[in-house]
Amino acid sequence: MLRKRLRYSIFLFLFCASWANAEIEIVITSGMDNARPVAVLPFTWKGAGAPAEDSASVIAADLRRSGRFNPMARHQLVQQVDKYTDINLEVWREKGIEAVVVGIIEQQPDGRLKVSYELVDIFRKKQEMRNGEMVEVDRNRIDNYSAMVEAKNLRFHAHRIADRVYEKLTGERGAFATRIAYVSVNRKKVKPFGLMIADSDGYAPQTLFTSSEAIMSPAWSPDAQKLAYVSFENGRSEVYVQDIYRTNSRKRVAAFEGINSAPAFSPDGRKLSLTLSRDGNPEIYILDLTSRRFSRITRSINSIETEASWTPDGHSLLFTSDRGRGPQIYQQNLASTRAKRITWEGNYNASASMTPDGKSMVLINRSNGIFNVAVQDTETKTLQTLTKTSLDESPSLAPNGSMVIYATVFRGRQVLSVVSTDGRFKARLPSREGEVKAPVWSPFLN
Amino acid sequence: MSIVNYGKGLAVVFSAAMLFACSSTGDNESTEVIDPNAGTEVVDPIVEPVGKSDEELAAEANEATRQARIVFFDLDDDTVSFEGRSLLEAHAFFLSKPENSGTMIVVEGHCDERGTPAYNLALGERRAKAVAQILMLNGVSASQIKTISHGEEKPADFGHDESAWSQNRRGVLVYEG
Repeated sequence: MLRKRLRYSIFLFLFCASWANAEIEIVITSGMDNARPVAVLPFTWKGAGAPAEDSASVIAADLRRSGRFNPMARHQLVQQVDKYTDINLEVWREKGIEAVVVGIIEQQPDGRLKVSYELVDIFRKKQEMRNGEMVEVDRNRIDNYSAMVEAKNLRFHAHRIADRVYEKLTGERGAFATRIAYVSVNRKKVKPFGLMIADSDGYAPQTLFTSSEAIMSPAWSPDAQKLAYVSFENGRSEVYVQDIYRTNSRKRVAAFEGINSAPAFSPDGRKLSLTLSRDGNPEIYILDLTSRRFSRITRSINSIETEASWTPDGHSLLFTSDRGRGPQIYQQNLASTRAKRITWEGNYNASASMTPDGKSMVLINRSNGIFNVAVQDTETKTLQTLTKTSLDESPSLAPNGSMVIYATVFRGRQVLSVVSTDGRFKARLPSREGEVKAPVWSPFLN
Repeated sequence: MSIVNYGKGLAVVFSAAMLFACSSTGDNESTEVIDPNAGTEVVDPIVEPVGKSDEELAAEANEATRQARIVFFDLDDDTVSFEGRSLLEAHAFFLSKPENSGTMIVVEGHCDERGTPAYNLALGERRAKAVAQILMLNGVSASQIKTISHGEEKPADFGHDESAWSQNRRGVLVYEG
């Protein structure tokens, strides 16, 4: 009893400690009725003291946050085991649990951790030939692996396990072991603006750059090593590129007269599209990062051309233009000089980006004065509003296309929110202090 | 620009100057005890402002008007309103004088938070340019003006409602030096 209580208090302590470490926390605002019931059992710890992280709860939280799964509450778990062979399929079947995750973490003499995990599909059966006869046999273990992990990477490694679970159960690659970049604004600080990166669940925020002037539009390089962004540190908008993992690596890449904004790396990472008004009007340009040469893409008379994003094949740009009264999305193949308008619903469509499979694009749509994240089908051009918030901006797709992170206003503060691309799952990631905006999801990390 | 043409602006100017005057006399009242003229009979002079020409009066009025340095815009729009235009004409009246040809001005364009930040950065530039255009049409040299857009990044009011937004959709004149 005492031991149990002790363990509980250790858990509580760990829980609070990790709480204090995460800058943003997640509040699920709209769940999904058909989320699949699963169970993530606490991983057995074999080592000195207690593990620094509760991997099972990180995995469960990830699965819940995908909107696709409903992990069983810990106190309801009907078995506490750590190996596939010890799982009693029947008791889980009775509870209607579809899949169970078990694992063991073993501390090595050198301090590293051996993490082993198994994923069990409770209902899976397979027909096999046995002694010349077709019989139904259980083939429930659908994934397992073990890896050596540095102790400090244990929590992030739990996201990798969540990715495996997600992929095995949905057929789609998971995007939990990814990061987000965003801008924090805390007006109580001498330098209120911070360029931040954090894990995809908001944990482990790190500051890359702080400034007394505004920071805008962070954008990841496809190798996730660099961020391009807009900084007002010299009194006006200029575009910088910074290597995340090397100090003193900031480079100013565009500081022309007028605005320098909206950077986006090409899928091959060799080019940067951006908006410059150096010729008098905001136009889209492409900067070749090797030759340092700019080529102008749009040639409008007096409209705004901005917010270019690359299609996944790298052959064309989507961008916002108000050449036809009010901002709308246009697509231009880079081999051509002509753009074609692709949004028609509502009098304001902006910030578009295409999903990795090219089947749709997410954007900001204004209808009746309300700004929402919306998704438009590439083929049918049908537009579906995904959110119920009203001041949405800066939508950014997860690299697997399943979720969109965006900035909105909640109770008078700018916060980050996520919504699944089908609009059925929504969660808010409020910042504990100050405000957060301009979120952008990293590519897959290797 | 003649003073006559400029008349409509003056009405606003004078009322602004009056407000200014009222508040300052209010502050001075408590120091009245040391009035050196106490006890002497003062005959109200028939006030004919001594030594002030029409031009000087206009300059004073203009200076009072130029205390205001912000013009406001409608949503999604870069049209300077009638009131804004009169204010800009007052600034142009000053800036276009030969003796002020060395005075530099930065025109900042700002937006409310609605809409996307990158589009708003461009819209802010459009607003700054609309302001600069009016100044130039009223005789200010292009070399005296710089335009900068802050988009939605520098709100004057941090609120998230129409009253805040109307304050944030603005063009601001900043005199340099």
